[in-house]
Amino acid sequence: MEQADSDAFLPLHQNWFHILLSLAGSEQHGYGIMQEVLERTNGAVRIWPATLYGALQRMIAGGLIEESEERPAPELDDSRRRYYRLTRLGRRVLDRECERLRDMLRMAQRKRRQEAY
Amino acid sequence: MSFPRICLALYRRLASAYPHEFRMLYGQDMERMGEDAVPQVWSRYGVLGIVRLLADIALRLPGTYLAEIRQDVAYASRVLLKSPGFASVAVVSVAIGIGMCSAVRSEFEGIVGPAAGLPDPAALVTFHWSTVSYPYFERYRDQPQTVASATALLRLVPFAVALTPDKTLRAARFYGHLVSPEYFSTLGVAPAAGRFFSPETEKPGMPPVVVVSDRFWRKQLGADRGAVGRTLRLNGRPATIVGIGPKDFLGVYPGNPADLFVPVTCGITLAPELSGDPLHDPEREIFRVVFRLTPGTTMAQAEAAMNAVTRNFDRERGLHPTHDRVMQLMPAGTALYSTPEQVRFTNTFHFVLWALVLALVCANLANLLLARGGERRREIAVRLSVGASRPRLVRQLLTESVLLSVTGGAIGAALGYGFMRVLSSLPSPLPLPVELQCRLDLRALAWTAAIAMVAGIGFGLAPALSCARTDIGRSLKEGAQAPLRGYGRFGLRNLFVACQMAASLMLVLVTGLAAGAFLLIARVNPGFEMANLSLVSLDPMRDGYSVSQAARLLEVLPEELSRVKEVDAASLSGVTPLAWISATETPARVSSSDSEGRSGPIIQAVRTERIGANYFATLGVPLLGGREFEPRDQRNTAEQGTPVPAILNQTAARSLFGSENPIGRRIREGETRYTVVGLARDGRPGFLRSKAAPTIFLPFTAAVFRADPAQGITVVLRGAAGHNTLAAVRGELASLHPDLTVFHARTLEEELNDWSSFIAWQSTIFVILGVFALLLACIGLGGVTAYAVARRRKEIGIRMALGARRSQVEGLVLREGAALVAVGSMLGFGGAFTLWRLLTAYSDMLARTFDRPVSGPLLMLGAPLILALLTMLACYLPARRASRIAPVAALREE
Repeated sequence: MEQADSDAFLPLHQNWFHILLSLAGSEQHGYGIMQEVLERTNGAVRIWPATLYGALQRMIAGGLIEESEERPAPELDDSRRRYYRLTRLGRRVLDRECERLRDMLRMAQRKRRQEAY
Repeated sequence: MSFPRICLALYRRLASAYPHEFRMLYGQDMERMGEDAVPQVWSRYGVLGIVRLLADIALRLPGTYLAEIRQDVAYASRVLLKSPGFASVAVVSVAIGIGMCSAVRSEFEGIVGPAAGLPDPAALVTFHWSTVSYPYFERYRDQPQTVASATALLRLVPFAVALTPDKTLRAARFYGHLVSPEYFSTLGVAPAAGRFFSPETEKPGMPPVVVVSDRFWRKQLGADRGAVGRTLRLNGRPATIVGIGPKDFLGVYPGNPADLFVPVTCGITLAPELSGDPLHDPEREIFRVVFRLTPGTTMAQAEAAMNAVTRNFDRERGLHPTHDRVMQLMPAGTALYSTPEQVRFTNTFHFVLWALVLALVCANLANLLLARGGERRREIAVRLSVGASRPRLVRQLLTESVLLSVTGGAIGAALGYGFMRVLSSLPSPLPLPVELQCRLDLRALAWTAAIAMVAGIGFGLAPALSCARTDIGRSLKEGAQAPLRGYGRFGLRNLFVACQMAASLMLVLVTGLAAGAFLLIARVNPGFEMANLSLVSLDPMRDGYSVSQAARLLEVLPEELSRVKEVDAASLSGVTPLAWISATETPARVSSSDSEGRSGPIIQAVRTERIGANYFATLGVPLLGGREFEPRDQRNTAEQGTPVPAILNQTAARSLFGSENPIGRRIREGETRYTVVGLARDGRPGFLRSKAAPTIFLPFTAAVFRADPAQGITVVLRGAAGHNTLAAVRGELASLHPDLTVFHARTLEEELNDWSSFIAWQSTIFVILGVFALLLACIGLGGVTAYAVARRRKEIGIRMALGARRSQVEGLVLREGAALVAVGSMLGFGGAFTLWRLLTAYSDMLARTFDRPVSGPLLMLGAPLILALLTMLACYLPARRASRIAPVAALREE
C-alpha cells in the first residue's frame, strides 16, 4: 500500500529529486536548497526561485515535504525564512527513486558489457 | 542606485504580483531569497543570469494563477454537484433562456437580414410594392447623383425547362427573373463560372442566353464543370448557359427565389411576358426596379429625386395633371421585403420577447444566487475564520456563478441551434417556392450569452461581496439564518417571487396572445363553401398556342369539363379564387362615369380579376345583385364598341357609387368603358390584408392573351361529392388536349393551406416560444419558491416545537404563497396588457386579435392558473416536508 503511494510519484521530476535530496540530510530553507543543489551538481543544475517555490508548493500538497517548526539559533535565524523537511512519504519516494535509478543504471551497464564481448 | 538593487526592486515587484494565498505561504521567504540570490546571481552570471532569474518569476506567474483557478473550478463543480437541485434549475433556466433568446433574435435576423449571397445589400432600395414601365425605369436609372446603378426585373417568371436543346426530355417548371442587363452589376455579385450580363453583350436580336443559379447547377446539372456553354430548352427555345451564379444566390427576392436569369433582351419567343414590347411602352407598368443608391444618399432624398423624374416624364408625355403618383422606396436585398414600419414593428416585438425572456432568466438566476448566497453565510464565515482571504472567497463564489452561466450557455447554444434546425425544417412558409434562411445568428447568441453571463456574475457577486464583508462571529453564532446585509428576511425575497410570477405571466400571456393572433388569422374564411372545389392550372401560350387557339380553348373548356361525370360545374379564372388574400399584382385606376362620359369618384388601386361564365355559381357564392357573366360576354370585346360588362365587389361599389345601386352604372378604366352588371360579396380580410380590396371582375376574353401572353388559366371545378374530380379532369384534358401541360392540380382546401402555411409557420414559432416560456417560468418560479420555503425549515421547526399543528404551519406558508401569487398575477396582467396595447398600437394585425381574442378565456385563465398552481405546489411540498420531520431535527440541522 505504502509502496503504491510512493510509486505514484515515480519517475521523479529532476527538480523534485534534487529538492528531496537536499532535504534528506537536514532541514533547509528555500535559498539553502537552491545553493545546495548548485554546489552538489557543480553548477550544472540551478533551480530558480519561482520554479523552486512552485515545486515546494506542489510537494507540500503531495505530502512529500512539510514545514518544520524547528528553527536555528536566534542569531542565525531570519524570521522571514521558512524551513522544510522530508515527510516519511518523501523519504520513501526518494528511496524508491534511487532504487529505480540504480536498477536502470545496472541494466544499462549489463547491456554495455554484453556488447563489449 | 546600483544595478543589483534595481534588479532586487524588480524582483520584489514581481513577487508581490503572485496570488494572495501563494504570498501568504511563500511571500516573505521568497523575498528573503531574492535578497540572497540577486547579488549571488549577479556576481556569478552577470546580466544574463539576472534576466534568467526575473524571466523565471514572470513566466511562472500566470501558471500559478491558472492553478488557483483550476482549483476554484474543481471546488465549484464539487459544490454545485452537492446541490444538484439548485445547479440544475439554474443551468436549465439559463440554457432555455439563452437558447430561446438567440433563436428569437436569429429568426428576426433571418427575416430582415441580408439575403443569402448578396455581398452589400445596405444601399439597395426598391419601390414600395409597385412596378413601373421600362421607359420610366430608364429615366430613374440615369440619375448619377442619387443612383449608382439600377436594374429592372420581372420576378417569378415561370419557365418550362428541359436540360437538352431537342425535345427528347420533358420540360419541368422553374422560376426565374427576367432582368435588365445591369442586374448582376447592380447587386454586386460575381459569377462562380462564366460571365454575367452587361449592356454591351445583351442586345436585342442576340442568340438567347441564360444564367443559372448555383442551386440549379448543383441539383439539375449535377455540378457539371462544363455547364457554361451548354444549351437548355427554355419555353421550347434553345438558350445557352453563359454563367453560373455565386453560392447561395437565388436572386434579389429570396422570397421568390430565381433559378434562372434571362436578359429582357431575349425577345418574346423565349419569354411571352415580353410580348407587346414592354421595353418601349410607358404604359406597361410591370417591372420591379432595384436601385443601388450612391453613398450618402438617404431614402428620402432618393424618393424626392424619383418623384421629380416621374413628374417630368409624365409632363413630357402630356399626361393629365391628376395622373400624379408618389413613389415610395423601401430597403431591398433582405430575406423578406418589408417597409421600415414593418421592420420596426417586428423588431420591437422580437425585442420585447427577447428582453422578457432574458429578464426572466436573469430573475431566475438572481433569485437562486441571492437565496443561495444567504444560505452559505456560515460556510463563508468558517472559511474566513480559518484564514481564507476575502478576495479569494469572492473569486470562489464568482467562479461558481460563471461555471453555472457557462454550462447553461453551452447547453443554450446547442438548444438554440436545434431550435433553428427545427424551424428551417418546417415546411416552406409561403405558397410560392421560397427559401428562408433560418440560421443561428452567432452575434445574437453572443449578445444573449454575454448578458446572461453578466447577470450571473452580477448576482453572484452581490451576495459574495456582502458575505465577504460579514461579521464572522455573528454569522458563526447565528448560522445560516442571519440576515444578509441589505437583504431583508422576507421583504426582498418575496418581492422577487412576486416579480418572477409577474414576468412569467407577462411572457406567457404575450407569446400566447401572439400565437392566438396568428392562429386566428390563419383561419382564412374564403367566404364560400370549399368542399368539393378543385383547381387546375393551364398555360396555353407557353404550350405554344396562338391567341385564336387560346380563345377557342376558353370557349370550349368549361363545356367539355362540365360533361365529365365527376364534375358538377366548371368555370375559368385568371387567378385563383384565393388570390385576394395576398394580391400583389398591379392595381388599375378606375373611375365611375355618368352618361355624358364625365368622371366621378376615382379609386386608385382596384384589383382586376378575369373570370369566366358562371364563376360565382361554381364557387357557390350567390351574387348580391345583378347577373353573372355569360359565355357571350367572353366573346365580346371592347373593340366591338359595346361596353364590356363588369362585376364589382362591395368595397369597389361603395367607393365608386356610395350607397347607390351600382347595377347598370358605367365605369371606365383609361379609355375602356364598362357597364356594371353584377355585385359580388367581399372576400373576408386575411393575413396580408386588413381590409377587403376593391375588386372589379371582368370577363375572361381572348384579348387578355393578346395583351399578356404570359396569362395562365385556372379552371375552377365543383365536383360531385365522393369522386376524385381531379383525376377525372386530368384524364379528360389529356385525351382532349394532349399538348396542354396541366399543373398545380389541387383542391381548394390544399390551396388555402398553402396560403395559410406562412401564418401557421409563424404561429408554430410562437407556440414553441410560449411552451418554452411556460417551462422557463415554471422552473424559475418553482425553484425559487421551493427554495424560499425550504429555507424556513428552522422557523417551521420552532413553530412545531411550540405546539403548532401541521395544518396550521402548512396553511401559514400557503397563505403567504397565495398572497404572493395574487400580487404577482396582478402585476403580470397589468404588464402584459400594457405591453400588448403598445404592440397593437404598432400593428393592426395584432389589434384585430386584441378585439376578438380567440384564445382569450383559455389563455387568460389557464396561464395564471398553471403558474399559481405551480407556485402553491412549490410552497406546499417543502412546507409539508419541513412539517413532517421532528422539530428537534429541524432545529439541530444548522
